[in-house]
Parts: sequence; structure tokens; C-alpha cells
Amino acid sequence: MFAFSPIRPVLPRDLVTSLRPHTLAKSRVLPLGEPWKALVPGGGLRRGSTVVVEAPAGQGGFSLALSLLTASSAEGHWAGVVGVDDPGVVAMAELGVDLRRVLFVPRPRGEWAESASDLLDGVDVLIVRPPSRAAHGVARKLMDRVRERGTVLIVVSEPGAAWPLPPDLSFVITESRWVTSSRLDARYLRVRIAGRGEAGRASEHVVVLPNRRGQAAAT
Amino acid sequence: MERLLALWVEALAIDEADGSTLRDSLALLEALSLLCPFTELVRLGLYVLPLRGPSRFFGGEEAVMKMASETVRDVTGHETLLGVADGLFCAELAAREQRVVAVGSTDHFRRAQPIEVLGSKDLATTCRRLGLYTVGSFADLESARVGERFSTYALELHRVARGELDELNGQRDLRLASRLGHLRGERETRNEQLGLFGERGASDERAFAAAHRVRRRLGADALLVASLRGGRVPEDRATLVPWGSPIVEEKIGAPWPGRIRSPSPATTLAHPVAVRLHDEHDLPVLLSARGLLSAEPATLLLTHYARRTVCWYAGPWPLVERWWVLGRRRAYVQVVLALGEAVLLVAESGRWWLVGIYD
Repeated sequence: MFAFSPIRPVLPRDLVTSLRPHTLAKSRVLPLGEPWKALVPGGGLRRGSTVVVEAPAGQGGFSLALSLLTASSAEGHWAGVVGVDDPGVVAMAELGVDLRRVLFVPRPRGEWAESASDLLDGVDVLIVRPPSRAAHGVARKLMDRVRERGTVLIVVSEPGAAWPLPPDLSFVITESRWVTSSRLDARYLRVRIAGRGEAGRASEHVVVLPNRRGQAAAT
Repeated sequence: MERLLALWVEALAIDEADGSTLRDSLALLEALSLLCPFTELVRLGLYVLPLRGPSRFFGGEEAVMKMASETVRDVTGHETLLGVADGLFCAELAAREQRVVAVGSTDHFRRAQPIEVLGSKDLATTCRRLGLYTVGSFADLESARVGERFSTYALELHRVARGELDELNGQRDLRLASRLGHLRGERETRNEQLGLFGERGASDERAFAAAHRVRRRLGADALLVASLRGGRVPEDRATLVPWGSPIVEEKIGAPWPGRIRSPSPATTLAHPVAVRLHDEHDLPVLLSARGLLSAEPATLLLTHYARRTVCWYAGPWPLVERWWVLGRRRAYVQVVLALGEAVLLVAESGRWWLVGIYD
């Protein structure tokens, strides 16, 4: 009867947006949680892209890589972690990663690239920490495969063993500082985000990772 | 290390194709669990149970050993070899020799073993050529020298030889738990996200296919999944188990007084690394019986050469857990080093260990 009546009920705005068909470009982006949503151009990780997280040893590189997983993990995407010897599972849970959908290959025994490329077919985000500087050819092959499968590859590297190819997006930790009280309270990380395309202009931000509850937050 | 009673039942060590070995093993495990609820089937044929609690309950180690061997005879009809020593590695060796190693002489027992018991043929051949015939002579080598000459695997064996690790890498059959679970008829809870109508989603199928491929490439225990359980410290709360093994659902909501608060270290070492903590006069920092430090830490020595300045520390947070069996006393300290790294250290029986890195 509404169809014929001159006055149609006004639909709530959020319902209208949810009824609108999703655009293809949007589904090609994996969501990011706080605080990266506001800091990364596009607000998400484009599928098929390679992200490099670079930090000196022990200065928060792995935590940063894990914090990129949180939102997509909560949405039900699978994640893989290759080459990280002793992942801090409790820290992952505190960050908000859903452990039911994370596969770990802690010691790939020299076959890190092969096992990474095996996992790429099945997961949506893959964190890789190469044991040493990756060879040019290996990196090229892996990035091609990532592009083809529509996965997101997050490489955790150190300044001495940088990823040999330019990534689509890079997070470089330039400074890390702990704030303490009677225990470790929070860590402030100064992160430079750069990349290609819309992320072309480098920007520098300070984020809290982890905070008192072990989560990532904006300052 | 915990004093263990190891039972070696030769007749149950070979896995028969008809599954009879597995059934008998399960029956025996359940019978032994009545003796001690912490009984563990480490590998087919090898059972291990902590001795301290049961020996107090049944009135002496001999009584427990007698009951254990009677249980094996009653349930399976086979004879068993019994051995007592500290730690899984030594307990198995003791069982094969049918020896009860006296309290405190496990070190001596291990050092007297031939080098072959470490289970690496390469290492044994090389060591014999070098004139190192016993585990003890291998343990006396400096770990840096071992690292230069052998692979990282040998470094792990070296730690076993020194008594820093209490079990060999391949000593435990990681898939046995899931096989026994199958036999008990437990439903495998693989903790999966079900699709809209209760079935597995397409993305899960894809992930499982990829997981199978990795397993084919690297072996059954290379691919792990994680779960949380209750506990006070990060390394107790997290469990990494091979993919496909049954995960026991545990309620995590229970309070754990004295828990190490968040944030937790992003790298939690499964095998803690021995470090040394010195004060400003370069003397070792000790933990008193009351859980206080003897001096303020000033340097952290990761190895002989890598020494790092300690900028700040917090703690110690003492933990005394399961005093009725293990009597485990530990104290945790958070340390921030000169370059801005933070680490979690634990003091246990007079030594410092690195257990976590806030990476």
C-alpha cells in the first residue's frame, strides 16, 4: 500500500547505506582497526598488496604487524604467521586477534618462502618474517603470487635485512619509547607510513602500541 | 626439574596396523591415571608420571613403583622397565637401565651416559673422533664452540646435555594425544567458525586445504594453532598445538590472582634463554627467599659478549605455585634496556631466564 501512497516512509539512513550494493573496490580492501583506520590512506589494506613493517630488533615491529590484523581477524578472515619463532599468543589475544583463525608456521626450516606461498592460497593476511635478507627473485615471486591470489602480505623486516623490492605500503618505526609506572604501561611508536599510489606522500604519526590493556590506540 | 617415574613397556612400543597397541596403551594410561592423575603417555610404550605426590601418598617411591609395575602386569600382561630420574630425558634413560637415580645425582647420571643417547648419529660420530665419549664431556664444551662447529639442532642437544632442557626434540609424540582422543570417541573440536547455516564457510575450506599443503611439505608438527587457557604468566597461558589436535575448551574467565598484567610480550620464548643480571659493581643480582632483589640491576648479559645496560626495571613479582607438588618459586622482572627494548625476565632457582620480548 505504501507503493501507491504519495507519502513514503523515510528509511533510516544507516539502513539505506546497508542496503546499497557493495562496490567491488571496497570488497577488495581488508579493514584496519584502530588507530590505523584513520592513518592509512584508503582506510584499509588493499588485497594483493605487499606491506613492509621495518623496525630495529625488539622495537615493536612484530606488534605493529599484529595490530594490522585485528579488524580483518574480527571479521572472520584467516591469517597466517610464518617464521616467527615464539609468537606471543597472549599479546595477540590482547590486541584483539581471533586466535581460532590464525595458522602458525614457527620454524619453516629454510623453506619459509615455500610455506608462505602454500599458505597464501588459504589465508587472507599473511605475516612473514624472513630469517635473513630475502633474495630478489624469491621476493618477486612471492609478491606476484600475492597479487594473483588477492592476499595481503605483511613482511616484518629489520633495517639491516630490508625487503629487496619496493612495497605497496611501508611502516617504518623510527622511534620507540616506553612509558612506565610501577610496571610497563604503554609504548609510543613514531611510525612513518609511505607507499605507492594514494599512499605516495609519506606521513609520520605517533601511536600507542601496546597500551595498558595491550591494545593499539591513537595518541 | 621434576622427579619422574618412567615406565617403558617394550611390547606396546610398536604401532600395530590393527590398532591393538593404541587400544592397550589407552587402557593402561587410564589405569595408571588412577595411580597418579598427571600420568602422561609421552610416546607409544613410554609412560611418565611425577613421583613426588604419589610417593608421599602411597608411602615411598618403592611402593609407587611396585604398584605401577603391578598395574602394567594386570592390565596388559606385559613386563615393564621402571626408572626414576629428574626430567623426561634422564627418566627415559633410567627406565632403559632399570635404575633409580638418587635424588640430586641426576646430573652425574646424565653426564656418564654415552654420547649416542642424544640421538644424533652425526654428532655422535664427530664427538667420538674428537675424543668426547660421554654426554658430560660434550656438555663441558662452550656453547659458542658448539655453535661454530655444529648446526643449531646440536645447540639444542647441547642444552639437553647440560641439563638446561629436560627433553629431546623428538622424544614426545605430538600426534598421540589426538589419536587417543579419536579412540576415546571424543568429538574433535577444531574450534571453527561455522558458516551462516552451521557449516564450514568457503574460506575455511580454503584455509584447511592450504594447511594440509604446508603439513605435507614440512611435517605434521610444523603447522600450529594457538589457544589460551588460564594461568598467571604468558608462557603458561598460551598453548601452541599442532593443527588438527583436539583443543580442550577451557573457561578463561577465572580469576588468577598475581597474574602478570597486560601488555604481554609479543614474543614469548617457548624455551627460555639463560641470561645473567648484574648490578653496578658487576656482581650477580640475586633473589632473596622473601622475593626481594639483592641490588638494583644495572647490566643484562645475554651472552658472554653481549651486555646491555638496564635503564629501568619493575618488579620482582614473586610467584609460588603448586607448592604441594612442584614447589615452584619464581619471580618476574620487567626490564627496559638502553636501546628501548623491553624484556620480561624470570628468576628461578638462582638463575635468570629471558622469557619474553616486548617486540
